[in-house]
This record gives sequence, C-alpha cells and structure tokens, in this order.
Amino acid sequence: MENNNEVLLKVENLCQYFRLGRKDLKAVDNVSFEIKKGEAFGLVGESGCGKTTTGRSIIKLYNITSGNVYFKGQRIGAGTRSYKDAIKNARDDATKKIKALRAEKATDGYRKAEIREEIKKINEELNATVTQNKILIHDANLDSKIVDRNHSAALLVALEDEYNKKFKDAQGDAEKLAELKKEYKNKCRVAKKSKLITQIQMIFQDPIASLDPRMTVREIIAEGLVINGITDKDYINEKVYEILEMVGLVREHADRYPHEFSGGQRQRIGIARAVVMQPEMIIADEPISALDVSIQAQVINLLNDLRDRLGLTIMFIAHDLSVVKYFSDRIGVMYFGKMVELADSDELFRNPLHPYTKSLLSAIPLPDPIYEKQRTRIHYNPLAEHDYSQDQPSFREITPGHFVYCNDAEEEKYRQLSANETEG
Amino acid sequence: MSKEIKLSVNNLKVSFRTDAGKVQAVRDISFDLYKGETLAIVGESGSGKSVTSKAIMGISAVNSIHEGGEILYDGQDLARIPEEEMHKLRGDKIAMIFQDPLSSLNPIMRIGKQITEAMLLKNKANRKEGRVAFNKMLAELSDMIKKALAENKTARVSAEEVDKYIKTFDDFNIQAIKLDNSYTDSRTAAEEMIAMIEDLLFLVEKKQKVDVVATLSLIRRSLTSIKDKYFISKYEDELKAHADALERVRRIEKAKVTVIDSVKKVVGANASKKEASSETVEVLEAIKKTATEMLAQTQYDFFRIGYYVYKHPETDLSKMPAEEANEMTYKFLNEDFMNSFINLEKIAVQYSIDKTLENKKAAITALQEAIDFFNANNFTAQSSMALCKSVDKSVRSAIDPLAVIKDNVAYTFGGALEREVEKYFFYIKNNPKEEERFARQTAKRDALIAKGKKVDWKIVPKSVIEPEEQIKTIVSVLTRVMNKFIADVENADSVDVDKRCIEIIDYLKEKASQVVYKLTKRIAKEKAIKLMEEVGIPEARMRFRQYPFEFSGGMRQRIVIAIALSANPDILICDEPTTALDVTIQAQILELINRLKREHNLSIIFITHDLGVVANMADRIAVMYAGKIVEYGTANEVFYNPQHPYTWALLSSMPDLDTNEKLDAIPGTPPNMIYPPVGDAFAERNKYAMEIDYEMQPPMFEVSPTHYAATWLLHPNAPSVEIPKIITERIKRMKERGGNHGE
Repeated sequence: MENNNEVLLKVENLCQYFRLGRKDLKAVDNVSFEIKKGEAFGLVGESGCGKTTTGRSIIKLYNITSGNVYFKGQRIGAGTRSYKDAIKNARDDATKKIKALRAEKATDGYRKAEIREEIKKINEELNATVTQNKILIHDANLDSKIVDRNHSAALLVALEDEYNKKFKDAQGDAEKLAELKKEYKNKCRVAKKSKLITQIQMIFQDPIASLDPRMTVREIIAEGLVINGITDKDYINEKVYEILEMVGLVREHADRYPHEFSGGQRQRIGIARAVVMQPEMIIADEPISALDVSIQAQVINLLNDLRDRLGLTIMFIAHDLSVVKYFSDRIGVMYFGKMVELADSDELFRNPLHPYTKSLLSAIPLPDPIYEKQRTRIHYNPLAEHDYSQDQPSFREITPGHFVYCNDAEEEKYRQLSANETEG
Repeated sequence: MSKEIKLSVNNLKVSFRTDAGKVQAVRDISFDLYKGETLAIVGESGSGKSVTSKAIMGISAVNSIHEGGEILYDGQDLARIPEEEMHKLRGDKIAMIFQDPLSSLNPIMRIGKQITEAMLLKNKANRKEGRVAFNKMLAELSDMIKKALAENKTARVSAEEVDKYIKTFDDFNIQAIKLDNSYTDSRTAAEEMIAMIEDLLFLVEKKQKVDVVATLSLIRRSLTSIKDKYFISKYEDELKAHADALERVRRIEKAKVTVIDSVKKVVGANASKKEASSETVEVLEAIKKTATEMLAQTQYDFFRIGYYVYKHPETDLSKMPAEEANEMTYKFLNEDFMNSFINLEKIAVQYSIDKTLENKKAAITALQEAIDFFNANNFTAQSSMALCKSVDKSVRSAIDPLAVIKDNVAYTFGGALEREVEKYFFYIKNNPKEEERFARQTAKRDALIAKGKKVDWKIVPKSVIEPEEQIKTIVSVLTRVMNKFIADVENADSVDVDKRCIEIIDYLKEKASQVVYKLTKRIAKEKAIKLMEEVGIPEARMRFRQYPFEFSGGMRQRIVIAIALSANPDILICDEPTTALDVTIQAQILELINRLKREHNLSIIFITHDLGVVANMADRIAVMYAGKIVEYGTANEVFYNPQHPYTWALLSSMPDLDTNEKLDAIPGTPPNMIYPPVGDAFAERNKYAMEIDYEMQPPMFEVSPTHYAATWLLHPNAPSVEIPKIITERIKRMKERGGNHGE
C-alpha cells in the first residue's frame, strides 16, 4: 500500500436527487470525501442509503444534481442545481425587498428618491449574483464536456513529442519510417477517442445481470478496447488472454458464453472487463454479496492481488462490515443519503463516534458463539439521538482524519470522547 | 436442554432426475432435532441444505427421487406418508420460513387475510373432523364391549343394556354440545363485541374515517345476541342497562349525523363522521369492561351438566355458581352413570389389549418369516406381493382399535413395504437396459481414447439401486416394525388400563368440544393482530389491511414469520431467512426468531451459509458438503475445535474484524453431483487430502459424544496435521474475548 498523499478522486458536496412525483428523493445529499491514490476506500450503510448511487454518480452513470467530482485534479462532473437555486433565491429575495420598498414609497412621499436609489442598488446586486452564478453554470456544463477533449489533446501532444523524436532517429530508413508512421497514425486515432472517465471502471453487484448473455467472454472483455478505437485483432486477443490469466481464468474460456461459468468465475469476468481498460481506479459495487462463502474469499484475494500488482485505487461498496474492514484503509459510513462518519478503518472500529456507526458495528455477526450469545445490539433512533432543531449539523473533522456529521454540542462531546480514548 | 427428540432424519437420500443425468443432492445424512433447540445446517449453495429441508416439509421438486432413508416425526415417516396426512402436518406442526419474503407472500391479498387464512381453515377442518372421530370411536367402543362380553361370562350385562349405555352417552353428549354451543355463541359474541369496540375506539382516536352509527348498531346487535342463560347469569341487569345506554348514545350520534348531513347540504362543506362524543366512548368502555369480566368468569363443565340436564330436563342450573354446579353434577354423573360405564369400558380395553397382544405375537412370527423369505432371495413378483398383503394384514390386526394414539409405524407399514418391493422388481427389470447403455457408452469412450482423442465427458454411472441393496431396505422396513412389536410385547404388563379408559373418555370429550369451538373472522383478526404485535410490527391494527408491497424487506420477513407461527407449529424450518436483508435488519430478525423460540419452545432448523449468523443462533451445527454431513457438533465444539478440513476452510475464508493476513480461499468449485466423487467429496479442494481420500469415503469419527466429523485425518493411522494458523489464532483471540465477556 502506497502511502502518498496524492488525491486521486475528490467529491465535493455531491447531491443526487431523483424526481419522485412532486417531491425530490434525496438519494445522496451533500456528500464530500477524498480518495487518495493507491488506497482502498470502503463505503458502508444499509440498503437504500445511497452507497450505490454515489458510486454511479461518480462515473457519470447519472447526471449529478449538484456538487463537483474531481479526478486527478480535473473536474469530471459538476451539477448545476445549487447555482440555479442560488439565482432563484436571490430573485425571490430581491422581489420581496422591492415590493416592500414600493409599498413604503406609496405611503411615504418624502423618501422617494432615496428609495429609488435603494431599489436600483438591489437590482444591481441581483444582476451581479445572477451573472456570477450563470458563469458558474456555464463553467460546470463546459467542464464536463471539455474534460475529455482536453484529455485527448494532451495525449496527442505527448504522442507527437514522442514520435517526432522517433522519426528523427529513424531518418533515412524508409521502411522503418513508414512503419513508425503507421503506428503513430493508429495511436493518434486511439488517443483522439480516449476519455478521462475510462480511467475509472466499475464492477457490478450481480455478475449474471451485468454480462450480456449473447456475447462471448472475449467480446465482453474486448468491448471497451474496441469502443476506444483499437482495431488490431492480434493486439486485442493478446490483451484479452493476458487479462484472463491475470484474473485466474484460462485462455480457453475466451470463447465461452457467460452462462457456462459459475458465479465466482462470472464475477472474475466482470473484474477482467474493468481491468482491461487499465484504469487508475475501480469502483466495486458489492462485488461479493451475490457469491457463495467459499468463492467470496477468492474474489477478495483477487481484488487485493490486482491492487498490489497494478497499483489500483479501489472504492469498495458493501454492507458486510467484516469484509469492508478487512479490505479497506478508510471507511465512510452512510445513512439516508448523508455521510455520517469517515475515518481510518481501524480508528472507526476502535472509536466509533456517531451513534449510527455504533449501532451498525453492534449488528455484525461474528463466527464466535460465546461472543455472539452475549452481543447486545445498540438501537439507533435518529429522533431520540439528535436535537437538530436549532443547531444545524454539518460534516466536521473531530480528530485528524476522523470526520463526523454533527452539530456544535455534539462536536464538543465527540472531541471529549476521542481525547479520553487516546489517553486511555 | 431437554433431550426429547422431535424430529429424526435417518440415512436420507434424495436425487434429482435431470436431462444430464441423476443429480445426487443429498447422500445419506442423519441427524436428530431435540425439543427447544436450534440446529443450524451450514454449507455452500448446492450442498443439499435446502433439499433436506424441503424433503422434511414434503415439498420436494417434481423431478426428485426419494432414494431411501426416513424422516421420523411423531412416530410417522414423513417421507412415506400419503399427501393427505402430510396436509395435516405441513404448516400446522412443521412450518417454514423462506429466503425471499416477497415471493412467499401473495401480492394481491391483504396481509391480514394471509395471516388469518390458515387459522380459519384449520378451525373449519377441525370441526368437521371432530364429529366423525367421535362417532367412530364410540362405535368402536360399543363393538368391543359387546365382543368382550360375549367371551366374558362373569359380567352379566346383556347386549341391549350395552346399547342403552352407549345411547345414553351419545345423547347426553349431544345435550352437552347443545348447551356448550349456546354458551360458546354468547362467548363468541362477547369476544367479537370487544374486538369491534377496540377497533372503533382505535379509529376514533386516530381520527380515521369511520361510520360511528353503523358500528354502534353492530355492537348493539352483538350485545343483544349475548343471551345464553349460563353465560349472563350474574350480569343480566348490567347488560340490560348497557343495551339501553348504547341505544341512547346511538340515537344521539344519529341525530348529530342528521344535523351534519343537513348542514352539508346547505353549506356544501366536506363534513364527515369521524368523531364520537365522549359519552359514547364512556359507554363503550363500560361495555368492554363488563364483557371482559364475563369472559373471565369460571366456565361451566358442560360435559357434566349435560348429563344432569339430560336426566332432569326441567331443572335450571344457570343460577347456581359455576364451581358449585360443576361439583354437584360431577358427583351425579359419576354415581348415576360413569362408574358403571367405566367398568364396562375397562372390560373392553383389557380385552382389546389382550387381543392385540396375541395378534402382535402372531405378527412377529409373520414378520420373521417374511424377513427370512426376502433374505433367501428366491422370490417372484407374485409370491412376494401375496406375502406383503398377508404380512400387512397381520400387522394391521395388531393395531389396538381402542388406543387413542394409533401406532403410526404399523399404519404406514403396508404402503412402505409394497413400494419397496415394487421398486425392487422395477430395477430388476430395468437393470439389463441400464447395463447395456453403460456398456455401449464405455465402449464408445474407450474407442475414442484409443484413437488418441481427448475425451472431456464422463459416463453417467449405472442405476445406483442394486437388487441386494434393495433387499436390505425391504428387510429394514420389516425389522423396524418387528422390533417395535417385540418391545411392545415385552412392555405389555406395564400398560395401565385405568389410564387408557380415562384417555378414551377424554378423547371423546375433546372431539365433542372441537365441534363447538368456533373461530370467526373477527376473533381471528384479533388473534392475528396480537401475533403481529408479537413479531414486532408497530401499529398492527393499521397495517392489518395493507398489501405486502407496502412493507419494507424486514417487515415482510416479520409477516412471513407471523404466518408461520399462526398455526402454532412444533418445528420451524428457516431457509436462509436473512440472506436478502442487510445487517441491521438481519440482527433484528435473528433476535426475533430467538425470542419466539424461547417463548413458544420451538425446535428450529436454521439453514444458512453465514457462519456469523450460525454462531448467533445455533445450539448445534451440522456442516454439509456435497450432500453429506461432514461435521456435526455443538456450536462451541464446531467453532472452537473444528476437525474437518472443510470447516477449517469455511472458517478461514471469511475475514473477521481482526483479520489482516491473506485469506485462505478454498480453491476450485464444488463437485458436479451427477458424477459424485468416489472418495471424500472435498478431497479435490483439500490441501490436506491423503490418498485414501480419493478412494474411500470416510466414516463419521467420534471426537466427543456430541461431536462427529467425517475425515480420514481423525483415523488413528493418519498423520497429525496442523490446523491452519489463521484459525488457531482466531480461536485464541475468541477465547480471550470470551473470557473478557465472562468476567
């Protein structure tokens, strides 16, 4: 595990709302976190709390409602709802104020000029906010569009530099030069089509549902490469075989169909499909919960193996806490669309602060009968636990690297608790 | 833990017919389930866990073959009893909770109906059955008395007198039923009334839409229908007062509604009848209180009173307090009728016991002859079938017609034997064909191999049932009955005739009262609501009328549990009930099942693949692999002292909270059960496998009296093997943690 501090993925105030009749369903609400290069980040919570939606929003399977997603320092996704809301609020405010002033103007004849001045000022302010936010909206829309263009442009520049040198070296040798030129042309085509987002890949929960039953394993794995503009059959085959062996399958499996495999092998195909794009990051969405006990360990070991070998960053979404604990360096706990706690995995299990985390940890069944017979589950009732009527909560850092969703009073309490913990 | 065995599975074998061949899903497993304990069956998918549970429930798939073994519950072999008998047990005595709650609920039926359905059906069937059983037993008794008297010259009672006795018994029972019926009707009316009042008060309190006037009329109707003189003896005046009060408030409410209606007409406003005045509520509360008191009073014993009333039709006992009346009529019944009746009965019971004992002795010799006959292996279809019939006849004659609990082993004997014999001849006939096919396929395969081609298919083995095997099964069916009879003959002296007599009278009484006990829809609803509250569904009264899709996953599973419990079963089979749920809900459901187990003293078979869940639930654990039980012991033994390599592998392949090292994954996949391995099924994936593991199946080695494991590693000649480090360390950690908890 590399221990550098380069932030690979940064999620900022991510909101993902779904239309549900007149109201919005806040599937993910104001979630922020960072994932460092080479780390395994676990995301846990009960079903329906927005773990999967977070993962899918990051790789742009949904258009995010508001917030920003940065990958390698570039903004790959941005939502506009917050800016639109800001404009709407500003307009409402201004109209309200102006109405009040006009009413005053009608009754009070003396301050007419003054009031007129004020109204003008309010309008100016409003215009300023609107233009500012409109620029932000424009930027957001543009950013998510041009990020791929920029990416391919940068690749092209790099390629040009590289090949210019090679051309110079090969001058005089016409045969070699032609060959190089052909190669350059191919690579340019690939570079033109490549997108930054392909460096994040996803492994889905259900290996049966996520593989097309009418495609052979070769076609499934090569699909990404083909879409990216690679036409060289031999190269693709070579790549497919290499990946198959990497995930613990054999070459012969390439021409079979998904239904001919067992559950664990199917999940390996799903992993192979993700890995073949040489991603920097993988989002694994409950990759083992559909598998049998003995197979689960195989898949976990495989993921760990790939992580060491390829230096992958993995975002691991699951609800089995013992597996998440085993696999991840840092863990985020989600509850009803909000991130309630985020800490190093050891820290989180040693010193859980948020009551929901405590309740979640107390529900883990362990293969130990004596412990199990004595385990008491802690109930979590958000209404009884928190009083957010006056003091609004937010996501705060209690100790370095340990974030909790709380308000001022709770923050104080948690700080006390952590201090005691470190002393004791 | 009491050691009463509830269910015992012996050498069960189940296979499935498929296009590719015969899949041997369960291969010879045996276990016992004790009363009030949880037995967990652990294993991968395809290890035969679910097939076992379905075989117990009698809901095996159509293409399944029951190849042998028995499932004994309450003296019956569930694998062999006919479907009609199974109907009476399934859901009633043995209930099941399935993995996916949504697919086991009917989506277009309100859940209230789904919970009460079983209760109502069971009640209806019981009432029908009660009268028939009563008459049958009485006829049997009179017949036996007459027979006994014909041989017994000392008791000077003529056949006419016997008939008179029986007729009196029948008639006064009818009288008792009549009285009881009227009493129960009033009781039911009172119960229903309470239910209605509770419903109304609840709805009024929650400000739900309700027609107060109509409900008050209904309550009044119930109130007036409470008129059994035994039931209302002490409360007559009170009830009259209540009826008047009710009528008064009903008028008031009605007037109010008329006013509101006219206002509505004028104003066009949306007036509704949601409220009841405080006076109405008071009256209703008072009625409820009285009714509850009435229900709590001592009940009359109509069996006794029935006889008194039968003899003195003009007397009225309703003014007499219940205890006194019961006492008085009891004396009268005993002196006037029962003593002499029981004397007669005694003669009959003694006679019947002697007779069946003789028959049993005869049956034992017949069975012994049959065993010799089959062992000699020299029989034709005709001769063996004739023998079957005669043996069955003699076994049937050995069943005591006056025994209340019939000897079920003997009952199911005939069918079982015939089926096994038929099977024998079926395979004798078919075996040459099988041989031919097998030879043909082998030749083809050999030819291909000789040509140097790569052959990657296997030959479906010959039909597994060998004639010699089948004879053994036949003989075992015979020996089981014989052993039972021999034991009965030996214990013949210890039979208590008096107790038998009382049992018969009690049985008749029970059957007679079964006819009277009515469960109406309203009472069933109250019961269902109580059950829903018990399994932890909040606001059960509101939720009673909802559809399954309106519930979350955890709530749905609770409803499925409530349905399973509605018939008050003995044994609950849970087939992965928490796999579809997430951690917090899972913990809640497990707590619920544990609590219900304690309260109802249930025996549970818990099927799962999650070892954490097993540790929480199980008293004993059976680890299954490829259709066999590989390890069997108490929870502590299996977790702290595992012996089988498969158990090691299972334990080490799942991380716990302290695991940091690489997991020991089990390589490969489970074997294809169309071609079950010759030796230990786990050998292929086992790094401790020895040569013998590929050649011979290991027997069960005893580790401790409660702990068994099927692995050659326990053989005295086996090399000593270290348990994987990951497990030893974990056990050490667990012991430390356990110690800390203990303090």
